[in-house]
Amino acid sequence: MQQELLFKVLVIGDLGVGKTSIIKRYVHQIFSQHYRATIGVDFALKVLQWDNDTVIRLQLWDIAGQERYGNMTRVYYREAVGALVVFDVTRASTFDAVLKWKDDLDSKVTLNHGRPVPAVLLANKSDQLGSQQPKLDSFCRENGFVGWFETSAKENANIEEAARCLVENILNNEESPVVEREPASLILSGFTNTNKDPLNCSSCMKQ
Amino acid sequence: MAAEDLPSEFDVVILGTGLAESVAAAAFSRVGQRVLHLDRRSYYAANWASFTFNALLTWIQQHQEEPQPEEVQDWSSLLEEGEELIYLSQSDSASIRNVQVFCYTSEEDEEEEEALNTTEEEPKPDSADPQAQTEPGPEEASHTEGDEPESLQLVPPAAQNQSEPSKKKISYAHLVREGRRFNIDLVSKLMYSRGSLVDLLIKSNVSRYAEFKNVTRILTFRNGRVEQVPCSRSDVFASRQLSVVEKRKLMRFLTSCAEETEEQRAYNGRPYMEFLSDQKLGDNLQHFLLHSIAMVTEATPTEEGLAATRHFLRCLGRYGNTPFLFPVYGLGEIPQCFCRMCAVFGGIYCLRHSVSCLLLDTHSNRCKAVIDSRGQRISCSHVVLEEGFVGADRKRTNTPPRFLSRAVLITDRSILPTDSEQQVSMVTVPPAAAGGPAVKMVELSPSTMTCSPGTYLVHLTCPSIGPAHQDLSPLVTSMFRTPESPDHEGPSVLWSLFFNMADGSGLEAEGHDLPENVYLSSGPDAELGHDHAIRQAESIFQKVLPEEEFCPPAPNPEDILYDGDTLGDTADGETGDTIGDITDKPPPPERRDGQNLKSE
Repeated sequence: MQQELLFKVLVIGDLGVGKTSIIKRYVHQIFSQHYRATIGVDFALKVLQWDNDTVIRLQLWDIAGQERYGNMTRVYYREAVGALVVFDVTRASTFDAVLKWKDDLDSKVTLNHGRPVPAVLLANKSDQLGSQQPKLDSFCRENGFVGWFETSAKENANIEEAARCLVENILNNEESPVVEREPASLILSGFTNTNKDPLNCSSCMKQ
Repeated sequence: MAAEDLPSEFDVVILGTGLAESVAAAAFSRVGQRVLHLDRRSYYAANWASFTFNALLTWIQQHQEEPQPEEVQDWSSLLEEGEELIYLSQSDSASIRNVQVFCYTSEEDEEEEEALNTTEEEPKPDSADPQAQTEPGPEEASHTEGDEPESLQLVPPAAQNQSEPSKKKISYAHLVREGRRFNIDLVSKLMYSRGSLVDLLIKSNVSRYAEFKNVTRILTFRNGRVEQVPCSRSDVFASRQLSVVEKRKLMRFLTSCAEETEEQRAYNGRPYMEFLSDQKLGDNLQHFLLHSIAMVTEATPTEEGLAATRHFLRCLGRYGNTPFLFPVYGLGEIPQCFCRMCAVFGGIYCLRHSVSCLLLDTHSNRCKAVIDSRGQRISCSHVVLEEGFVGADRKRTNTPPRFLSRAVLITDRSILPTDSEQQVSMVTVPPAAAGGPAVKMVELSPSTMTCSPGTYLVHLTCPSIGPAHQDLSPLVTSMFRTPESPDHEGPSVLWSLFFNMADGSGLEAEGHDLPENVYLSSGPDAELGHDHAIRQAESIFQKVLPEEEFCPPAPNPEDILYDGDTLGDTADGETGDTIGDITDKPPPPERRDGQNLKSE
């Protein structure tokens, strides 16, 4: 029987590092040099036919560039199962902020048993730099990232790969027993949406 | 995350992230107003916030300290001709008083427990010293565990011998270690399932950010006992405490309530109590109807009592067997849901950031800009202020200012245990003496994600007569086991917090000494529901934008189509990324009505 999984993934990082570009490239296959802050959109949905038995609906939650001073609401973090942490290779300050974002993430949301949610580091705008980018393997090991990729939303480089890496890690966590929440919670539904089961598949604890 | 200057022009600047301000922020942003939403605190939701156990300890510490004298910075150098400054109050101390904490459980885990539980992680050395965190003020030192070693052994001997010999005693260290599982609300309210908050959540689609639990039962405390109140038809039939005659009478009464009758009108202006008494319902039913269903006092007029009864009955059965819902993770989620909606529609958020003064255009008597705490001038057309920002001299309130008394208890079991450990209970407690305040009590189980497994979170609220501890501790000792009631067979209180909070219902809507485009909003009120804050937000919105719809439904992200095919690198920079086609049509009527409730 085919199973359908729904994962909430956060896309975080400093203003202007290309979070929205990455999401739009990944989900809608478009790229524009000039993004305005995304208005009226909570998340973008990417549907993946993962294997013969599994369809994955990936909700990519942009930080709504507006919450740019780092004051995200708990609503944003709640029930997330993975994160893409993005920095801009051409601006060192955005790399310096990566650990702040990672710490914030780990302090606001954990999986069951208190483990951090898997996070993949994206070195974005790699098209704007030569090939002398330093390797980040040990940085990732030391700081709890499950992997890193040099990405370019403009040239569509490595975004699919980064997402795949994250999903693999999320699925690894899925195999651990899911804690049942009894009795069930209610969702007050205002619109037609056949898939309002954000929690069934993800075993994730509150912040 | 870098600090940077804020943009310097907005339509609406909103100070404070409580419920009324957050709903107003979402409403403005949703219809395209540029909103700047600030809070001087480091957390969202102001006095509506909920905290993890450890964050609550920090909050307590802040409110036990002497308020720092306000540092008034002189921004008059930023004035231009025809402008005046109105300085705002920056201290956050006035709305919370008399904070007192009591810990009745042992400091550390019992030794045998440690031995059984070797995998459990030790308290981290860097987690703040619990002793320091609950350091009592001098006035309460005699109540804390340090001075009362005998209070350390609080597990009832009877309970130990009973069914659960292995039940662990929950230590303070355990509460700290499990602190993240707590979401402790500063206010205690419930959502009427047909109340204005639920209607607004559904109408605006903000409901998608939250999930809810049914309140599963209504209890009342009467003659020293906790009893279940039968309120739905099935409850009435299943009730074992009602006689057959009482059941018939109650059903007949509830049915007859639905419509106003000539007989009822005859009682207008006379107490509801009198009306009930003349129905010859008997003491039991009269108690339930007055205190638990209408939740009014003996002096309330009949028309109000009947209106409250009808509201209760209307809300029954929409989502469950009681009229109430409670948000998973606590009430503090709700303002944040509206903030998220505001941000998604372009609102800018900044915590730990305040406004020092309003800039008044003396010619038009309007506020044309604000000056933030960093001295940045931000122009705006309208300002919404949490009333705490405005000095008493400029505010018009029902004098004298009123307060609420609050208590928060962490207990080790439910006040009325059943087979299910996941009951969420509304408990009404009639006044101990005639004319005294009725206490509203809510007991939350871990299923609401507001307390750790094995504990219950109990919220008590009443209008203040004196300090919260004075108002509420007699009830606590009559319902729970504490060092003052060591032989009580009820649940043991492990930890408790008492405080007074300003009652927001005292603020007048008009008549403040402020520019006409500055609007005041207030903090939580004493009512069980949320109507006051929602009404306030809506009224502010309508004063500013009388033609616009209040919180129209936000589009479902999955319904948004991007016109990706026609756009690309060559697209016009201004519009290249914008959403081509938001299917912003209102949902089908039956959905808007929210009948379609999905449960997982």
